Amino acid sequence: MENAANSVIKHSITPAWVYSLLLLVGVLAIWQTLSSFKLINPLFLSSPQEIVIAGVDLLVSGELLVHLKLSAYIYAIGMVSGCLVGALLGMAMGWWRRFGDIVDPYVVFFSAMPRVALYPVFIMIMGVGDLSRILIVFIGVLFPMLFNAYVGAKQTSRQLIEVAQVFGYNRREIFYKVVFPSSMPYLMAGFRNGVTLGMILVVVSEFFGASGGLGQQIAVTAQFFQTPFMYAWVMYTSLLALGFVKITDWMERRLLWWS
Amino acid sequence: MAELLQVEQIYKNFDTAKGSLSVIENVSFTQQEGELITIVGASGSGKTTLLRIIAGLESANQGVIRLQGKPIEEPGPERAMVFQQSALMPWLTVAQNVQFSLRSLGLSGETQAYRVQDAIARVGLKGFESFAPKQLSGGMQQRVGIARAIAVQPKLLLCDEPFASVDAMTRQTLQQDLQKVVLEGNTSALMVTHDIEEAIYLGSRVIVLSSRPARIMEIIHVDIPYPRDPLVRTRSDFQDLRERIWKMLQIQ
Repeated sequence: MENAANSVIKHSITPAWVYSLLLLVGVLAIWQTLSSFKLINPLFLSSPQEIVIAGVDLLVSGELLVHLKLSAYIYAIGMVSGCLVGALLGMAMGWWRRFGDIVDPYVVFFSAMPRVALYPVFIMIMGVGDLSRILIVFIGVLFPMLFNAYVGAKQTSRQLIEVAQVFGYNRREIFYKVVFPSSMPYLMAGFRNGVTLGMILVVVSEFFGASGGLGQQIAVTAQFFQTPFMYAWVMYTSLLALGFVKITDWMERRLLWWS
Repeated sequence: MAELLQVEQIYKNFDTAKGSLSVIENVSFTQQEGELITIVGASGSGKTTLLRIIAGLESANQGVIRLQGKPIEEPGPERAMVFQQSALMPWLTVAQNVQFSLRSLGLSGETQAYRVQDAIARVGLKGFESFAPKQLSGGMQQRVGIARAIAVQPKLLLCDEPFASVDAMTRQTLQQDLQKVVLEGNTSALMVTHDIEEAIYLGSRVIVLSSRPARIMEIIHVDIPYPRDPLVRTRSDFQDLRERIWKMLQIQ
């Protein structure tokens, strides 16, 4: 009995990430072996070694930084403006119920609509420049943010608002001290949605007519069958997205310690 | 003793799909300073509505309520309320929740900090200042709700079935805490409950309300001196009162 109990404890001591890492090493080893024996067409899938070499090359030559900056510029402006406008509008809809009820059907319609569908429209009106790209990110981020903020503000406990009333808070103070913090989990959920969605939209929008950026580089290297470089760009894009998700996780832990 | 609260001929109707529904009919009473009055009635009898009107969270269709002679129109911290569910802000710590009630009073930071510490100590939560509400038990959360209300040093403490959602053991402790707070803090309390025993145990007077519409059936004086020991429940006059109120609430 004692031995059985001990072995259970011992098993739980090895952290899961050790196995995750082993799995990664294993997959990479098999992949590399298959590539080395020419069992995979290198035109479609490069070996891990080639991808790493291409990746290092992009980093050292400074090319990565150039294109990263271009994408980051679109992403940052689109994200910040989309989050702010979405949060403000959504909170306003939840706070002024009448306004919310009137706008509600349109929000539902646009939330359901795949936002990428609007991109050709933007290109038609504003061309393939940065403005179209910023706008598609803005629209993409706006709706998840707005929808969550709306629900968050609406779900604020009636009783908590009454507590504030009893202790002499006016409407404005109730908004800042009760409705806003109470909506925080919803705002965070909207932000989390927006972070990944915004990333996708930046990359997709750069596929067409961009002069640079992560998405543009993926498209161009694919076109010219520079397969290792294409995968290197995809890797960098994924790592960036992963970084953003981790930062969001950290923010959530800091801001929502109480929930 | 001076008159603190005057409730004069309060009527309240709710508009429903089937027309107007009378929930409170001609309720009048006065409360003296330092007095602990309990209001007892069946669930859904309109007693909570009456308390909410006094708090200023709802308005009466007819009648006036005066606090120290001044008519009540809106909520205010001089009528601090302890809610049925503790109703704490989950994103604030215990100390911050208590301080929440003080913001609109225009006190200095020092005074606020002192009052918060004092209120927390008085409900026996010293050492839990930086805990989140969700880390506390239901009874402890309710204590924070009480601390938040007494930190204001209100003229009148309104309690809406504050112990309804805690277990029997905790309820007994909280009842004694409330008694102590009112006696020591030179404040007055008006408490709504559906628990007859609790109403007699805590109240110097018990207002017995009929069920919808709520009318005052009787105001009963409880001649048991404070501080009351939990054992007063076994006294024969206590038992007689309990039976009397119980019968009143059955008959209607």
